[in-house]
Amino acid sequence: MSGTRMFLISFVIASCLAAAGTASAYHTRFIANNCNYAAPTPTPYITRDGSIAVALRARHEGYQWGGGCWNDNDIDDSPGDPPENVNTGGEGGDCSGFVFKVWRESETESNAGFYQWGMLRHIHGPYTAARFKAGEGAPNISVSKSVLIKMDALAKSGHIGMIYATNADGTDQIIEAKGEAYGTSIWTRTYRGDSSYGGVRRTGWS
Amino acid sequence: MDERGNRFAVRRSAAAGLLAGAVVGSTILVIVGSAIAQSAADSADPYVEATHLPPLLTTADAVELEYDAYCIDPATDEAESWCDVTGSAFVRPGASGHFREVPLMRDGATNRLVARVPESIASSREGFTYYAEIETAPEGASVVTLPAGGASAPHRSLPLGQAIQVDLGTHRFGEPARADERVAAAAWGDGPSEAGLEQGRNVPPIGASAFDVDASGTVVLLDQAHRRLLRWRPGARSPTQVPLEIDGALADMTLAQDGTVYVLESVGRAGRTPLVRRFDAGGRSLGSTETAESRSSQIRHGSGGTVVLQQPSQQWMRVAAAGSLVGPDGQRRSGRAGRLHGGGIEVIVLRHDNEIRVALAGSAGVLRSWRITSETALAEVQLAEPLGSHLVLVTRVYSDGRDQFVVLVLDRSGVRRTFALESAAWAETAPLARFRLVGSSLFRLDSTPAGVFVDRFDLEGK
Repeated sequence: MSGTRMFLISFVIASCLAAAGTASAYHTRFIANNCNYAAPTPTPYITRDGSIAVALRARHEGYQWGGGCWNDNDIDDSPGDPPENVNTGGEGGDCSGFVFKVWRESETESNAGFYQWGMLRHIHGPYTAARFKAGEGAPNISVSKSVLIKMDALAKSGHIGMIYATNADGTDQIIEAKGEAYGTSIWTRTYRGDSSYGGVRRTGWS
Repeated sequence: MDERGNRFAVRRSAAAGLLAGAVVGSTILVIVGSAIAQSAADSADPYVEATHLPPLLTTADAVELEYDAYCIDPATDEAESWCDVTGSAFVRPGASGHFREVPLMRDGATNRLVARVPESIASSREGFTYYAEIETAPEGASVVTLPAGGASAPHRSLPLGQAIQVDLGTHRFGEPARADERVAAAAWGDGPSEAGLEQGRNVPPIGASAFDVDASGTVVLLDQAHRRLLRWRPGARSPTQVPLEIDGALADMTLAQDGTVYVLESVGRAGRTPLVRRFDAGGRSLGSTETAESRSSQIRHGSGGTVVLQQPSQQWMRVAAAGSLVGPDGQRRSGRAGRLHGGGIEVIVLRHDNEIRVALAGSAGVLRSWRITSETALAEVQLAEPLGSHLVLVTRVYSDGRDQFVVLVLDRSGVRRTFALESAAWAETAPLARFRLVGSSLFRLDSTPAGVFVDRFDLEGK
């Protein structure tokens, strides 16, 4: 069999195998294929509105436990990740990684400065939802829920989401990375009145 | 070259071809896949997102319309160099006639777009109606209309009028009221009479996300994790199961008088809005329709058909009427501030800080209204529905460590009856799915680590 013929056969087989692998398990490769580890850009200041612009670009981009990397094509490129596995390498942040990146925080907990992380920069940051709730880290403080405004957060052990808007009936629209079945988006929630949640604020912005 | 050498050369050529083909084939696929993902990320134009809290019930002649508007430019990763937006509000006195354009101006302190409603319009006894168009500046490539129905279904703002004052004072987080009856209960689990939880260590417990009760007292629980209903006939200890074709995530539900079931899902498929699915009493699918807007918070059935409260318009929109589902365009044209009840009475609710304004309104304006204030922080209004000549309102009071529901039966003199209920449910439900009012019975959905249950509270028997 000629080399050319073998090339064509193996090309077709390899393409099919790669495509099949992509279809069945590409959630394990989104980070490997798309994300980077570039240094963040120090930013002199940030605004709540600017952070909303960051957050909105993650909408519809999926959820990855322990993750923090997404593109902006409004599709979860790795749907159906096993939710129990932190290592599936899929698209999207988890709840606390999403807040870390939207609040543009430093990996160094004693640093309250602002750092612009690219969408495709894979990073989760040092905080769990419970640590955010406790106000841990130099940029973060616990505040009373009754004074929270847009882009402050509501956090409990196991989950955190940010306030996007308030509804006429007193519920909040929360922008959050909710879970594998939900991805990252905005939903009406009643977290503010739920005593398992506490208020958290990123300090130093306007 | 001899025959042996020739065979070796052929094998070597084939092996090289095999390796090269595999490498090139898989590499091209990866590159193409990445390029598709990246081009999708790079090709979009700037777009506008906007939110607005409508001043549904006003107490003064000076009214400002405030909009939070965000222009997102997918071409840049720099959040603080966002593109700008501009726009206008269109206002008119009452509910008919021509709209007057009022430019939206940027408020330097809040960064909001603001339009001051001319006093001659804001002071109209019939209130005023309005909508806004917000667009990217200067190109206007992306335009958002709020509410989505624009001139055909504008926001309606009514003067609150001589509201009945209700001062809740400082809430004492004491002993909650006891239920008159437990009408349904299921343990968490996967058995035929058990309710399921959405799984995953990284997901706090979510399960049995909504319920409803029909006029006969039959309780229907949406066991979304098992994609089914659990139905308890009056007096039954065990439920029957009704499988449903739903997506299995958080959802709200409502029952029509004929037993038709409507389920409002909360997660849309890629690039789509969530679905309202319709089933007969046996669980057979009767079709579905997409919601007009990307976000919805509750679905209810009543005299105005089946309606969904949608955001960002903050309007109730009809999703089914006269036995037919309504598409997104029809939903947008049907938007209104309050939910319609019998006799054309609309219940309008506005919670602002520690005050709740609630009104019964007809076509001519507010018929009766209440202004409820509280020293303790007020969270959401879970339910506001007429009960004869009264109004039942359930809200949540909270501190940073406690929260309870407060049930108010309101009448002409103020509070006819009030009591508190525990509000902490172990498993998360749809946001406004905890209560249903059927006749003079208030039903509450609640849960513990052991299971989920529905309790009944008699509002007139005590």
